[in-house]
Amino acid sequence: MASQSNGALREAVHEIHDYIQENLYFNRPDMTVNGKKYNSALLLCLISGLRKGKTLIIGEPGLGKTTSAEYVCSLLYRFPLGTIWGSEVAGHPEQTEEKIIGRPDLGKLNLGEEVVVWSHFAMLPVKIVDEINRLPETKQSMILDGVDRGNWEYLNDAIINKEYCLFATANYQDRGTNTIIAPLVDRFDLMVESKHPGANLAYMIGMRGAGGAVLRHEELEADFHRVLSQRTSYEARMEAVESLCDRFGEILKNEANITTLSRAQREIIRAEMDNIPFDLDANAFLRMVLCELSFCHRFGQKRSNETCEEGCHFTGYTCNGIRNCISNRFPISARNMAQGLAWFVGDREVGIEHLKAILPYTLAHRIQWKDEVIAQHEKEPRTDPLPIHMAKQCVKVMHRRYMEQGGQIKNALAVACRVAEGESLEPIKGDHPIFWEIRKDLGEEVLEQ
Amino acid sequence: MRNPFKEFGCLSVEKKELPLERIVRAREEVMGQMIHGYLKLVEEEVKDLVWLVEHSRVVKAYSAAVKSIRDLQYDVDDIEEFCGELDSSNKIPYMISGPAGIYVSALINHAKEDRIVLRLRDYQRTFHFLGYRLPEGKTLILQGDVGDFVGAGLSGGRLVVEGSVGNWCGAGMMKGEIQITENSGQNTGEWMRGGEIHVEGRIRSVGKTLFGGRIFQRGKLVMPQDLELDI
Amino acid sequence: MEDKEKTLREIWKDVRRKHLFPELPHPIWDEQEERVALDIKDKRISISESFVQELSQFMDPVQAISGLLDHAVSHYLHCPWDLSTHLRLYREAKKVLKDKQMAQKATGYFMDVVADTMCISQKESHLPEVYRHIRRGIMDEALHALYQKIWGVDLGVKGYEEVARKLSRLPYLDRKKWTETIKKFAKIVQSLLEVEEKFGGLNRPNPMGEHSLQQYSSDEINEGLKQFAKEVETPGEFKEIVEDLQEELLEAMEPNERGMGLGPGRSLDADVLYYMKLAENYSLPVRKMPLEKSGALYPYQHVPWEVGMPFRDIDPWTSFGKIMPGITQMWQRREGEMFGREEATPDCIVLIDSSGSMTNPRQSLSYAVLGAACACDAYLRNDAQVAVYNFSDAKAGGSQILPFTRHRMAIYKTLCHYFGGGTKLLIEDIESLQTRNNPDIFLITDMQITNLETLIQYFNEKNNRVTAVHIGDNEHVRTFRKSMALRKNVAIFSVEKKEDIPKIVLGRIKEYFHSATRF
Repeated sequence: MASQSNGALREAVHEIHDYIQENLYFNRPDMTVNGKKYNSALLLCLISGLRKGKTLIIGEPGLGKTTSAEYVCSLLYRFPLGTIWGSEVAGHPEQTEEKIIGRPDLGKLNLGEEVVVWSHFAMLPVKIVDEINRLPETKQSMILDGVDRGNWEYLNDAIINKEYCLFATANYQDRGTNTIIAPLVDRFDLMVESKHPGANLAYMIGMRGAGGAVLRHEELEADFHRVLSQRTSYEARMEAVESLCDRFGEILKNEANITTLSRAQREIIRAEMDNIPFDLDANAFLRMVLCELSFCHRFGQKRSNETCEEGCHFTGYTCNGIRNCISNRFPISARNMAQGLAWFVGDREVGIEHLKAILPYTLAHRIQWKDEVIAQHEKEPRTDPLPIHMAKQCVKVMHRRYMEQGGQIKNALAVACRVAEGESLEPIKGDHPIFWEIRKDLGEEVLEQ
Repeated sequence: MRNPFKEFGCLSVEKKELPLERIVRAREEVMGQMIHGYLKLVEEEVKDLVWLVEHSRVVKAYSAAVKSIRDLQYDVDDIEEFCGELDSSNKIPYMISGPAGIYVSALINHAKEDRIVLRLRDYQRTFHFLGYRLPEGKTLILQGDVGDFVGAGLSGGRLVVEGSVGNWCGAGMMKGEIQITENSGQNTGEWMRGGEIHVEGRIRSVGKTLFGGRIFQRGKLVMPQDLELDI
Repeated sequence: MEDKEKTLREIWKDVRRKHLFPELPHPIWDEQEERVALDIKDKRISISESFVQELSQFMDPVQAISGLLDHAVSHYLHCPWDLSTHLRLYREAKKVLKDKQMAQKATGYFMDVVADTMCISQKESHLPEVYRHIRRGIMDEALHALYQKIWGVDLGVKGYEEVARKLSRLPYLDRKKWTETIKKFAKIVQSLLEVEEKFGGLNRPNPMGEHSLQQYSSDEINEGLKQFAKEVETPGEFKEIVEDLQEELLEAMEPNERGMGLGPGRSLDADVLYYMKLAENYSLPVRKMPLEKSGALYPYQHVPWEVGMPFRDIDPWTSFGKIMPGITQMWQRREGEMFGREEATPDCIVLIDSSGSMTNPRQSLSYAVLGAACACDAYLRNDAQVAVYNFSDAKAGGSQILPFTRHRMAIYKTLCHYFGGGTKLLIEDIESLQTRNNPDIFLITDMQITNLETLIQYFNEKNNRVTAVHIGDNEHVRTFRKSMALRKNVAIFSVEKKEDIPKIVLGRIKEYFHSATRF
């Protein structure tokens, strides 16, 4: 029964993916998983949407950053496009908390009552911020803090989203944009690029015009608006919204033969994803990656304000090429998204192939490369923007190291397990930083001599 | 406290080991011991990194060398490799030719093999004292040019040099045979008591004091009979 | 074999999984090669169909293919790993064997031993079975005797005990020792290779495939040469190896890449290539767009309103429509920061001294040329042009002028030219390169210029940003420093260690590129 529902739900998600790919978001495949080709922006947005993740979509203006997110949200969460548009936050410098999160009910305020009118953005589970880098940093911070916990506060009131995902778009740096500072960028699980689809697909887009008409339903959109504007409790409104979503799902099924997902089904999918274990190689590989991105033999760990010593023994490893230490959000993102991908392709375990596919997109926005490393890569031929390209190269190099040393690393971890359980074994020594980290975790003092 | 390695508990820690790893490990152990023995010899016998050739010192150095290799299990490949290490100085910080040669000779003399070939042609450094006290029943073939005091104190063994030798070749040899395919230097056969030296090329000079033994040049006896020196 | 494509697909899936998903394209069948089991071109593995058919007389073809793929994948995973390792191994082998063909063969065999042994030590493989049934030459027999010893398997080889014994002592699994190990390996197999040479065996291809440089992609070759240039001690060493493998390198590079190092005819100008690749190790990133104030105010945060403050910035929403101290809030505005307009990078004139007192760049590593090369690359990468004035005794014809260009090869050829004569430059030569846009000037010299006063006077009259890098200290340097002390546009760097030249040059350029001030 469980496996049947597994298959059916997976099929439904595949249908959503295929429908968007064939009818709404035309683009070239640019990643391969299990021998099958996918478009990274579409696939990863889909997985992120299912996983309650946060995705930063970058790209040139007009290449479908926002629309791809809208389509994914519409089909995954069963919201008509008009409702999604009404909840989007546009990035511009004069956004305020009142426009983004909520405002006082002015009528009630004049009568002396503090009642919050929550914005659609705060209430709905799908959150799209267009051109987030045009928002001032304080507003970026406010949105990301809210989405971190699903907790929105205004005046003395608060709502908690039980289910939510965030898609933020950003153009490349140009006049009139701010930067997204590192602590905020770190909160995104993934960064993907919405690429130009190529001349031939672009011509097709030109012929067809803007798609998505099938995802509109004015009557339902009005109902959504009415429900969201009610002055009832947030929970009551969300129940009503869920019913409307189910109605929209039925309409899509009947009129366009698209299977979509209910909240309960999304919960089941998430539970299934959470239960997908990592195989030992994926486990060891991820530990190795974490190690290379955080290790510093001389100073204990990587820090942005400390530079590497000349002639450091670990010059050949990734730690030597980066300036910052990877955050703890990274392994959470990597794990969630890798499980999502493994579930999507129907695998029982998360393996190295899933990690290899996902890691560049979870790392691209989190790594601050040293100037000289950037210089080595920026003029290389590539099909991705520089941060994603460098992240892919980095993962490739680390994977190659793992292929060479994976056996010893797993052995070292196995020995460490026994040592941690009290057996008197000697921890295995090796050159890679992970061997040093293992010894540190076992209580050995391994300072540089 | 939570064990962060728990997931790897199911893995066996027994690593598949190839015979290669055992061979290399054993070799490295032996090499380590050899190098340790040599360095100890140098520390004890050589003061201020200067070692003067005096009979008593040579004897003492040889005895010390023999003592240090007494329990060592090695073969001819180890000796050859040790010579390589002496030449490259990767693991050996200082190579002092006299004690080095004496140490190598001790290794050769106490090796299991009766026939030992050392390719010295490719080495940068010159080895002295090779073949020192080579015992009866042992054959040592040195391919390439060697230094001074080669075959000194030869004790019945057969030493073949496919190249030239330096000075004092066969000094004080007791018995046995030395064959040199090219030239020999000065004081060849000095203090000889017995045995034979055959030189196919030039002999720069023969030792003044010979208590026994014979020296041949291109098959012709030159000592203890008249010596014909090539000019 | 029925449906060989399907079989290959299935086997490749398993092999790939076993080796943890190497980034290699799907292998293909090759119907042409008979004697050789495998070929690898640009990472694509080709398996000889006839070879597999021959093997299938003795073993299961699926196992044969699996073993062959293990061998090919191991080469990618373990040895040679990359081109610079390959070149390094070849260089060491050649030091011992002194002959190009023998060195190539020895290197190939060494890489086979390492790759296969690594594979056997870590994975279950049918490779020994393949070797048991393969046709062997003299070297193959010796190596299989070695495998019997170090793998503990029986491959049906008799004899070769001494060679196998000597070879078995080498630490093939220790990458750090490969440089030493291959020398010992080459020494031991030298006699066998000589026998092979005598009977024409060296011209016979290795049954498991040759290790040509075509297995590397163009990018890998570039990267490999870059690494190799950094590793060698002299340009001569680089030149020797690159010239040995010139044909293969040219074949393996993409057509438009070949122009990077081509000399007369189709030959690689290895000396120039050396500095080109070495300089790539010291790259400076492309200058980023500077952050500047936007000039526009935007509402940044709320602050409490106090009596006396203007009303216009009051925020009615947060004030709940009330105007009273303690409740009313107003916006505080501030100027935003955003990305500004990118400054164009100025062009650069490089003045390089190649007099007799400077190092001949073709004989030894010339840090002066390297520093100049780093400067040129930095400007080229930022879309600027570079002109070069290479001088020795200019008046006697010892100078070369290259007008502004973006042609990297031409620039490097001019930089690498060595006159080795006296040291006198002509100001009119420098002046002929000046433009209206005041290009930057980089001077790299030991300052022993006979007409230094003329140069000082010239710099005093000009507004170009000048960076003078010189080696050592002497009276001329002191004169130069004293004369240039008041000139803000002239910076002088004395280099204690020549190795610091690239860093100094790049540091200075970085400052130039990131400063708003222009002289």
